[in-house]
Amino acid sequence: MTAAPVPATKEPQAPGGPAAPQRRGIVGKSLGPLLALPGIVWLLLFFVAPLYVVLAVVFGGVDPIFRTVIPVWNPVRWSSEQPIYVLTHIVGEDGIFGPALLRTAVYVLTASVLCLVIAFPIAYYVARLAGRWRGLLLALLIAPFWISYMMRMLAWVNLLANDGLVNRIVSVGGLFPGDTVWLSGHSGVVILGLVYGYVPYMIIPLYAGLDRLPSELIEGARDLGAGRWSAFWRVTWPMSRPVVIASILLTCLPMLGDYFTSDLLSGSPQTSMVGNLINETVLTPGQTGQAGAFVLLVLIVSLLPMVYYVRSVQRADGAVV
Amino acid sequence: MSAPRSVNRRTLIRNAALLGLSVPAVNALLAACAEAPTSSNPGGGGSDAPLEMASPDNPVTWPISDDNPPIDDGMSPEAGPLLIYNYADYLGPQVIKSFEEKYGVEVKVSTFNDTDEMLTKIRTGAVPYDICFPSYDQIARMVTAQIARPLNHSYLGNLDNVWDVFQSPWYDGEARYSVPYSIYTTGIGWRTDQVTDDIAGMDNPYDILWTPSYAGKVAVIDDWHTCMAQVGLRAGITDVNTSSADDLSVIQDNLTELASTVKPKVNISMYNDLPAGQIGLCQMWSGDVVNAQYYLPNDTSVDVLQYWFPEDGKGLVDNDLMLVLKGGNNPVLAHLFLDHMLDEKNSLKNFGYIGYQPPQKVLDTDRLVADGYLPENLATAAVQESWFDTGYRLLELDVDNDQAWHRIWQQFKAGA
Repeated sequence: MTAAPVPATKEPQAPGGPAAPQRRGIVGKSLGPLLALPGIVWLLLFFVAPLYVVLAVVFGGVDPIFRTVIPVWNPVRWSSEQPIYVLTHIVGEDGIFGPALLRTAVYVLTASVLCLVIAFPIAYYVARLAGRWRGLLLALLIAPFWISYMMRMLAWVNLLANDGLVNRIVSVGGLFPGDTVWLSGHSGVVILGLVYGYVPYMIIPLYAGLDRLPSELIEGARDLGAGRWSAFWRVTWPMSRPVVIASILLTCLPMLGDYFTSDLLSGSPQTSMVGNLINETVLTPGQTGQAGAFVLLVLIVSLLPMVYYVRSVQRADGAVV
Repeated sequence: MSAPRSVNRRTLIRNAALLGLSVPAVNALLAACAEAPTSSNPGGGGSDAPLEMASPDNPVTWPISDDNPPIDDGMSPEAGPLLIYNYADYLGPQVIKSFEEKYGVEVKVSTFNDTDEMLTKIRTGAVPYDICFPSYDQIARMVTAQIARPLNHSYLGNLDNVWDVFQSPWYDGEARYSVPYSIYTTGIGWRTDQVTDDIAGMDNPYDILWTPSYAGKVAVIDDWHTCMAQVGLRAGITDVNTSSADDLSVIQDNLTELASTVKPKVNISMYNDLPAGQIGLCQMWSGDVVNAQYYLPNDTSVDVLQYWFPEDGKGLVDNDLMLVLKGGNNPVLAHLFLDHMLDEKNSLKNFGYIGYQPPQKVLDTDRLVADGYLPENLATAAVQESWFDTGYRLLELDVDNDQAWHRIWQQFKAGA
């Protein structure tokens, strides 16, 4: 005797009738592209189009009378004179741009490492140890965003002035000279300015990432005998690596194009960065194309860590799956 | 890990259709972009003829073309508003107000950071500016591209008030397109509480900028031609527009030495930084040192400021201009404003605000000091008419020479 077949459980019919699942499928299929549309439009208008304008300027011409740039929109007519000039003047006997590019790399790397050293413990404390003070501390961390970057730098100009507070403190009531000219070509001052200006941009994403770390894994590591340091080094740090990379990127990229930190806190060519080269050339008749070439150079250089970030995120996703 | 998505025929056709739709749109966008100015004379007229370079040795009287004639005599002023395009803080509010009251019109002032920005924006034609304030080395381009409107002198009775040298200057014979606005020298400014040397008594006063003991206190002017020309003067190169490779090499060496010796700041805010004590010694425009006295802290005497310029006038002398623009809607009103600014009383009022001396016949060093425009210790900032015969003028350079100068400046600014 065979068992009578069990009738399939009747699904309650959707209010819309039998056609509803199909309609939901269509809506479901188009929902993704629909939601992506604003982002795509935004990218086209504010990234692709400006990038094309930059290309048209870099590979464009120069007005014979006014020496202003003439964008050339047709790629067939592009001239590579300006980018080649920039590329052939980076190293070697004619390497007038090399020192500024190298200086930029050193400043940005140093400032980023210092930012991380400052930001990580703060973000870690607020995210995982602050308890009921977390809200207040978070508000205080966001507070620097209420004041513009330039105003914060100008505040430092006053503090570091010859007769400013820093020199008065250094002089310890007149015991020491306290006559250091801080605002004239000191690399350290520019780097510290970058750190001060951009460290909030690192703390916030670090906090967001560290806050979302699954505490069960850390507790599990502790339960299995790992000490505090071992749990941090073998569990917390590997899991937080993608957010650390993202945070470094978030600060590195604007630093690469920064020019007014050096302008305000130094004003000397001895601390010129690539942003200063861009600012200088874009305003100089006949050299606007060079400014565009520097912009592309920065873009290409910044793409490398972006690719690394994407790959590391993909690896992390794969590991989770 | 999911398998890579294959592109089926339907997807391919859909994407191709989207691409097909977007290509005309992109073409239209590019065509619209291409309507941006791509030649020297947007907005009609002009020519692409090679640029004629004026100089004291090659004075130029610019032609007046049929399609850009001066306005007729005796016309009534327009209703305004009069649109003025100028540097920030380079026009006194009192003289604007008095003009508005006199003619019952509104004057609107827009500002630019440098004259290259000025030219770029004027050329777009987006705003019909009536008047702008360029330097004399821009007039060739502005006339050639028919941006400037020729002047009708019947509206400019006060032009007689200015020095004879500007009645028919070498850069604009018969003052066909411009009238002078301000005059200034480029010398050395310093604070006596930071610099103890007797600069004026030195064999070569320019050397003071290279003195190692003043490292960190020195600033030079962020203008390639002015700065490099003064560096050349230090080395005895009096052709401040030189195209000699040897001269330029000497200038480059001196700039490199300057950078390594005193690490100078490079900016144009000496009028603020010197009185504030942020710098003690700098290249300086005479108008800026006049202005600097008003930026001194309350507890600091004006006596602390000093300015040096060669007594024989053999230094850098310059002047700025006022031009009526072809694209403006108020040419009669613009002429009247120029005449208003050339009036003796108005120009003095304006001098009191901007610090840059007008080339008025009635003004000389004694009067400027007696009337309190200049303190005794800054009498050296007064500009004399004879210096426009003996001084050195920065001229527009041909393209190759311009690039050679800029290359050195680029290297200096890049900290290489």
